[in-house]
Amino acid sequence: MLATLVVASGLSAQTFPANVGTYRVYVACESADEVALVAFDGKEAKVERVIEVGYQPTEIEGPHGLTVGPEGKYWYLSIAHGKPFGILYKYRTSDDKLVGECELGMFPATMQISPATGLLYCVNFNLHGRMLPSTVSIVDPDAMVEVARTVTGAMPHGSRLSKDGLHHYSCAMMSGELYEIDAVTFKVTRNMQLDVNLPKGHQSEAKPTWISPHPDGKRIFAALNGKATIVEVDAKNWSVTRRLQTGKGPYNLDISPDGSTLVATYKTEGAIGIWDLAKGKERARIKSTRRVTHGVVISPDGRYAFVSSEGKNADPGALDVVDLRTNKLVASAAVGLQAGGVAFFEHKK
Amino acid sequence: MFSYSRTVSAILLLAMAAPSTALAQQLSKPSDNGKVNVSPDHLTLQVGEKAQLETQILNKDGVEVEGRLLYISRARRSVRVSREGEVSALKPGNFEIVVRAVLPGGRGPEAKVIVTIPHPKPVGIQLTGAPKRLYTGTSVRVTGAVVDKNNAPRKDLRVALSSSNKETMAVNAHGYLTAGQPGTVTLQAKGGGLEHNHTIEVIDNPVRSLKLAPSQEIARTGDVVHFKAQLRSADGGDIKGVPVHYTMHAAPDDTLGNGATGQIEQDGRFVAETPGLYTIVATCGTASDRFTIRCNQRLTTKRKLKKIGHGPVLDVHTSDLWVWEGQDGRDYCVTGTWGANGDAIFWDVTDPSRMERIATVTCDARTVNDVKVSEDGRLCIISREGASNRKNGIVVYDVANPRKPKRLTQYDDELTGGVHNLFIDKGYAYALSAGRRYDVLDIRNPLAPTRVGSYQIFDPGASIHDVWIEDGIAYSSNWRYGVHMVDIGNGIRGGSPSNPVKISSYAYPSGWNHAAFPWRNKETGKFYVVAGDEAFPHGLHTKNHPTYPRGWIHFIDFTDLKNPQEVARYQVPEAGTHNLWIEGNLLYVAYYNGGLRVVDISGELMGDLYRQGREIAWYIPTHPKGVVPNAAMAWGPQPHKGKIFFSDWNSGLWCVELVEDKGRRR
Repeated sequence: MLATLVVASGLSAQTFPANVGTYRVYVACESADEVALVAFDGKEAKVERVIEVGYQPTEIEGPHGLTVGPEGKYWYLSIAHGKPFGILYKYRTSDDKLVGECELGMFPATMQISPATGLLYCVNFNLHGRMLPSTVSIVDPDAMVEVARTVTGAMPHGSRLSKDGLHHYSCAMMSGELYEIDAVTFKVTRNMQLDVNLPKGHQSEAKPTWISPHPDGKRIFAALNGKATIVEVDAKNWSVTRRLQTGKGPYNLDISPDGSTLVATYKTEGAIGIWDLAKGKERARIKSTRRVTHGVVISPDGRYAFVSSEGKNADPGALDVVDLRTNKLVASAAVGLQAGGVAFFEHKK
Repeated sequence: MFSYSRTVSAILLLAMAAPSTALAQQLSKPSDNGKVNVSPDHLTLQVGEKAQLETQILNKDGVEVEGRLLYISRARRSVRVSREGEVSALKPGNFEIVVRAVLPGGRGPEAKVIVTIPHPKPVGIQLTGAPKRLYTGTSVRVTGAVVDKNNAPRKDLRVALSSSNKETMAVNAHGYLTAGQPGTVTLQAKGGGLEHNHTIEVIDNPVRSLKLAPSQEIARTGDVVHFKAQLRSADGGDIKGVPVHYTMHAAPDDTLGNGATGQIEQDGRFVAETPGLYTIVATCGTASDRFTIRCNQRLTTKRKLKKIGHGPVLDVHTSDLWVWEGQDGRDYCVTGTWGANGDAIFWDVTDPSRMERIATVTCDARTVNDVKVSEDGRLCIISREGASNRKNGIVVYDVANPRKPKRLTQYDDELTGGVHNLFIDKGYAYALSAGRRYDVLDIRNPLAPTRVGSYQIFDPGASIHDVWIEDGIAYSSNWRYGVHMVDIGNGIRGGSPSNPVKISSYAYPSGWNHAAFPWRNKETGKFYVVAGDEAFPHGLHTKNHPTYPRGWIHFIDFTDLKNPQEVARYQVPEAGTHNLWIEGNLLYVAYYNGGLRVVDISGELMGDLYRQGREIAWYIPTHPKGVVPNAAMAWGPQPHKGKIFFSDWNSGLWCVELVEDKGRRR
């Protein structure tokens, strides 16, 4: 059926092989103030569209966090710098038109929409200046209004929700903490220090940068960027159960939908780590195509990991594609400067 | 509609505090087609009142089931709702509260509550400009506002003014009161169901004659001419304090459909925009006088900007520049780059007709937006944005030999958000931090900079864009918070680099304040801060297409530091300002798509300097192989040793000279 459609549309079967279909992801390019829509057909990754974003053209505004709404109709982008606060933008996926915006806090970064509450939870990373407790902005994406702010730790990052959407997790990079927020009451329900050493003067050595709740709902994984470690936290007992030694600078994480595989970006090392979670073993470590590896998202079918890579100076950013069956890097597309946030959009067979 | 009193609210709160009956059934996913019932679905609350919502989750059969409820206000600064459904009215208006069922399987059904919060009742009318006494034959304008119990104006209510006796005092539709005959009259103000009466005594105007005299009878366009009206009584005595009304009639030399050509203020200041005859009429009661003056073309010698040299940068965008005389007596320039490799480029510009690119330094950044060099030509500081580790900050170079800049150190503590602009002054660096403040760094030991102070506007949403230092005063540009003058060593307020003390500030409504440059006019004794806008209402194209910014130069008279006044502007149509520089009586503006502009700002300033013919010359820098081909985007100017250097975003470094325009075009 697909083969017939491909021939009828004039596209070559080589460009869109019938066996895997086409995957599409959005990538935010932080120093280019643009977002790229990248398509991957199983062989080749191509930039299909570049969307210029922001409103202060002669300043780097820093598009950072990306997420696609549960129904796939809209994608959301956080922009770090405003005057002075950052902004959440809402775009239509059908044509990438801007349809809404909402001012958040200082340097809003990663975010996700809860399937249970329908609300978007975005950490105000507040990379700027003094390391003070910051917040999680909670936004009604239908009306694009901020409905609450919850205070957490210093430089919160890695905003992710439990599979049921009822709990929000983030880590505070500079105070070294893991935070849990009740997605309905917006209150902090628990927090814990992720480092074995207490941070001195709001300067955590562990520097947790990412949180990834396991699909089984029982565990939470956190990347300790400063300690080359991924920790596993028991969500019920609220205690660290495993510490996995990684490559240098683990930064972002994602877990396959079946819960078997964790993919970590090693920012400092410029590499990608693929982990067997049952065994607690790194299955493979792959060099990124650029020097600074950043974000990762695994396709809903668990087949591919899409990894953004920043580069440095005038190096273009990249979106690398890793086949999780072979643990090989199978494609890469050059995108704008400092590719960071990455969000899965669709898989069309 | 449902209206709650405080008493009703209290009763309902008590009712809701009782434990609810446990229900066995539960909706599990949205497809269960449940419903949320909320009561009331419309609320009317006065500011300060509260009410409790009662909510049920029903399944498709209408049976109440268990579930968690999410209450969200879509205007939480005006109406608040607690997690338990208690609504608090904060500000007037019409608002929406969403009550949503949260289900294990996904987002559940929801209901909306419309909350109406009426404006507080009007309690009074306030008049502005209403006199107690008015002379016959004179006019004054009065405005009125209905205010609520918080003394806040009710913008939705208008005030109508009328007179109790039109013969004594007439009132027109625009609020002008004109006194007719002597007597006591009531100015009646009505609005919001209220009435306010103000008594005015109309007294006989003692002025029987008026003599008008200008400060000069022959002037140039752009000159501010001061008219004085001498008022005399019937016995010839001088009278003061009776208002005089000034009007103007223009007879421009150019009669071919010319537009409005001059401006007269009610304090007698007049300025002409185009050459011609201008008749000023002054009236006071029955007395009047007129005086005609001649205004000639301001600039009699035509001048132009002649290109001396071009240092092309055609592969990346160029940002700011700094030109200085090096320690070896040669002249040098450093330019930044934008959205690229983190480079700063050094030039030998001793012979500006052959500018030589002598060195490039690269730091971990994408944009080096600003570059500055110390007064002794020894240190260069550059700003970083887009660093790979996001720490940004500044980098310090020894440029004693600009051909071999030596990296001394970098400083990024608390400058992680990206340094967009900076300045260097007497051993201190002033670096913008996070778009919120500038930090003062002691770089007297450049190998070990230390932060000694900072200045921040703590008002909500305050943001900074630039800082400039002169005579111990820091002039920062703060978008909608305008220009701030801060003592960092001048002594006027006892400030120092480690203890910056605010002197004064001025903001204008557009919120476009991007740059500021101080200027003391030695002829008039006036002290201005000249503020530049930056605005891109039509977007910015980084490649392929030209850009059409907007904005203008604002002249703010800070002579009275407690009462700064915006008195003049320089606005090139269809173009937008960026950075500026003033030397002597000349203003140099990098006017983005309008190129480099040179403007005569001598004398007193009033009105639009562009329309007054004060613009001396312009130069449009373009290059066919520019980053955007053939598109000017002049970024920043700097006069140096009789030449004018400026950077252009699309084409690099330029040098021009102001010369007589002999009309030759080739």
